[in-house]
Amino acid sequence: MTQPVEKKGDRFIIPIGPQHPALKEPGHFEFTVDGEMVTDATVRLGYVHRGIEKGVESRNYVQNLYMLERICGICSHTHAMVYAMGVEKLAGVEAPPRAQAIRLIVAELERIHSHMLWLGVAAHEAGFDTLFMYSWRDRETVMDLLEALSGNRVNYSANLLGGVKFDITPDQVKDILEGMAFLEERNRHYLEVVMNDMLLLGRIRGVGTMSKADAERLGAIGPTGRASGVARDVRLDAPYGAYRTFKPVLMLAETGDLEGRFNVRLREIMDSIRLIREAVTALPEGELTTRMPRRIKEGETVSRVEAPRGEAFYFIRSNGSEMPDRIKVRTPTIFNMATVLTLARGHQLADMPMILVGIDPCFSCNDRMVSLKRQGEEAAGGDAVAGPVMTWNEFRKAVMR
Amino acid sequence: MMNTEELLAAAGALLEPWTVEKTTPEEGRVDIVVEADHLIEAVTALVNAKWGYLSALTGLDLGPEAGRMEALYHFCHYAAVLTLRVRLGRETPVLPTVCGVIPSTSFFERELSEMFGITVEGTPNTDHLFLPDNWPTDTYPLRKDFDASALRAQDENRG
Repeated sequence: MTQPVEKKGDRFIIPIGPQHPALKEPGHFEFTVDGEMVTDATVRLGYVHRGIEKGVESRNYVQNLYMLERICGICSHTHAMVYAMGVEKLAGVEAPPRAQAIRLIVAELERIHSHMLWLGVAAHEAGFDTLFMYSWRDRETVMDLLEALSGNRVNYSANLLGGVKFDITPDQVKDILEGMAFLEERNRHYLEVVMNDMLLLGRIRGVGTMSKADAERLGAIGPTGRASGVARDVRLDAPYGAYRTFKPVLMLAETGDLEGRFNVRLREIMDSIRLIREAVTALPEGELTTRMPRRIKEGETVSRVEAPRGEAFYFIRSNGSEMPDRIKVRTPTIFNMATVLTLARGHQLADMPMILVGIDPCFSCNDRMVSLKRQGEEAAGGDAVAGPVMTWNEFRKAVMR
Repeated sequence: MMNTEELLAAAGALLEPWTVEKTTPEEGRVDIVVEADHLIEAVTALVNAKWGYLSALTGLDLGPEAGRMEALYHFCHYAAVLTLRVRLGRETPVLPTVCGVIPSTSFFERELSEMFGITVEGTPNTDHLFLPDNWPTDTYPLRKDFDASALRAQDENRG
């Protein structure tokens, strides 16, 4: 954007965005500055608004599962799960215990992948690119596990209305446990680096500090709120699904600054690892799905889950037909965005990217595709397609080396 | 600590003076209908009692035949969900802002007014939040009679 800097009295307004204001997601900010100091901030969203809340009203409940999963490229499972739980509640159906445990495992794998992605972005914004690259390399471990389970890296499509789509085999359990051991060791190291590296601490300690009172007043939720001591986590406050059996530990920090947000998210990764270990070793036996009616009986329901960024809230209203009358989606970022605008005041312009990234605003991430050349493809150019030269795991090991 | 039922009972008692109608749609939830004129008092009572937090603001269009719209203020406190329902006429829906009590409602109110055409009196910022600046006036996408095809045709004519 080549908007000119606007002068208002003795203050300047600097427009930032919509193209990638610190992150690879569009958003438009206007910072009013007095010298280097930010005195006011406003935001304009909607550059990736796709009219999904309207779209769901003309699609049936099954189609909407796929539609809503595509709201977010990072917490896609969260959206599908909170929606499926809501529709199941309306229909008076409960997913089988094994399905609920699998939902939990995928949700916690997703939390690890989301928090590690954030760690990389935040490190990058602080100018610590080594940490960014190492953390993203290690994040591949969890992405590979998700891909091995579901066939997808991003929209895992684990949920069905009334259950889940895939099982977790004993072999996969072994892979998951191996992956968790590796990630535990790596994240323990990152926690040490973040808490001891003087250069990084210079960028995060005491920056973007939000008191508990402010966090409560502004409605900060998720890790952003917990870093300011707001003891809220839907998994504990209103346990759902398998979280009734497998209890997370509430991670809090009192400092309220960026250091606190690093601390809370890294400790949450460690706790997710523990939860996944417990869940895969105690997977209940049984069915993966239960029967769901096509038409959902009339009613209204509220469904809430703890997304990686905080509470995701769905309100679903059914008029008794195959299509919902209304679905309201409230994602955590809108809450936390309000905190950025307030925190910005009194900080240096150079701190803005870090403060913005500090809340982990939700941005789409790109899917990727790998095509493998199959044996016989070139020679015959037609039907004679044998199995792949390498299995996916072999291929991955070969290219990751 | 109070359990979910006790929390909801406490909220019900707090809102007693302004309650028009009270229902329990499902376990862990209570819906309380209040008049738009009493909304600020009701919200203030919840905030002063530190009863949870405003989790979402849902707009609901019951369609041209019903001629009614609703604004739903969902408050969450642990597992308890309390919804303040404000019934509005569809012709000139007007709500008072609750930003004076809960500043973070500003975003929700902007969304509600651009999507449903509900006027929120006194809200600090009335700019579009999600819709583009060149969105036609008096066109509210989440109303039931919104016709996307008309908008599309208009878009094509503009080139």
